[in-house]
Amino acid sequence: MYVTADMLLMNPEQPQETAVEVVLVRAVLDGDRDGFARLYDLYAPLVHGILLARVPRAEVDDLVQDIFLHAFKKLHTLREASSFGPWIAMIARNRAVDYHRRSKETVEISDEVRGTDTHDSKAKEILELIRSLPEAYRETLILRLVEGMTGPEIAARTGLTAASVRVNLHRGMKLLRERLGFVEGV
Amino acid sequence: MKEDYLWDKTGEPDPEIQQLEEILGALRYEPKPLELPQDLLVPRRRRNHFPLLAIAATVLLALLAAGLWLRVRSRNESPTQQASIETATPRAEEKPNETPKSPVNKSAVNPSLLTARKSYRKRSAPSALPKQEREEALEAKQQVMLALRLTTEKLSLVHKKNQSPSNQIKNQHRVG
Repeated sequence: MYVTADMLLMNPEQPQETAVEVVLVRAVLDGDRDGFARLYDLYAPLVHGILLARVPRAEVDDLVQDIFLHAFKKLHTLREASSFGPWIAMIARNRAVDYHRRSKETVEISDEVRGTDTHDSKAKEILELIRSLPEAYRETLILRLVEGMTGPEIAARTGLTAASVRVNLHRGMKLLRERLGFVEGV
Repeated sequence: MKEDYLWDKTGEPDPEIQQLEEILGALRYEPKPLELPQDLLVPRRRRNHFPLLAIAATVLLALLAAGLWLRVRSRNESPTQQASIETATPRAEEKPNETPKSPVNKSAVNPSLLTARKSYRKRSAPSALPKQEREEALEAKQQVMLALRLTTEKLSLVHKKNQSPSNQIKNQHRVG
């Protein structure tokens, strides 16, 4: 029996997300354009989180679209369909580096100058604190605290080992608590 | 455990983490439709045909080499067999005259050795001669071989005479 991408996505007993992405990547390569929209739905939060840890928030949405457009064009170069997550995560990290390289001479306009709503100013302050943490911790913390992913989800989608994600989460959280002024254990 | 909550949102919730989640949730990704240009084609899977081509080329080369080898071998083998058959016939006639005790005669008359030598020589030099010339060459070769055999026999007779007891004493006397 032929298993379609829809059947896999609708099946709640499907244990591995990688199986879904494998089916979706193959479907896209066989000409199913909608399959890529499903991949976008699955991986947009990951790409958003990775970018949020590196580039100004105002640029993130446009960059997410750019990254998925690039991924669509280059999908045929992906060797292992199961590695879609790590692959697109790497594209996002590289795109963030490119962004900073190109905008070296430009001055970033702060949200206050831009006149944004002060409703989420506290969120932005904490985000800046997270961004000041070492790179290994900030990405994992943003995926956990901002995008709401669990540790196993982060590991599965980024291709990192569960142990690495666990260590990054705990060490990053400890550093963040210190900077926020929380006293551990209270 | 509070650590479990940070890891997979299970166990006892950590109020600080919950507070952070609530505040930072404002920055969470808001689903937006993907805008792909309509004229953008779906990328096609790039199939790597190199291994298949390499295997096919190797098999083809092996078949060609085997074919060439068989052809060369069949060309070389047919005249050798003729020669061995033709050279074996006169030897059978000469056999009664031969003295079987002599080791020199044995090697000279042994047909298998001669055939082997002939076949070795034939294989090493590819024969591109026409049939008539080849036959003539084989006849000439047989004559040469016959002459050589006669010479060998005569030499063996001389050798025998030299090895007789009277000659040995003479030789000893001469040497001494």
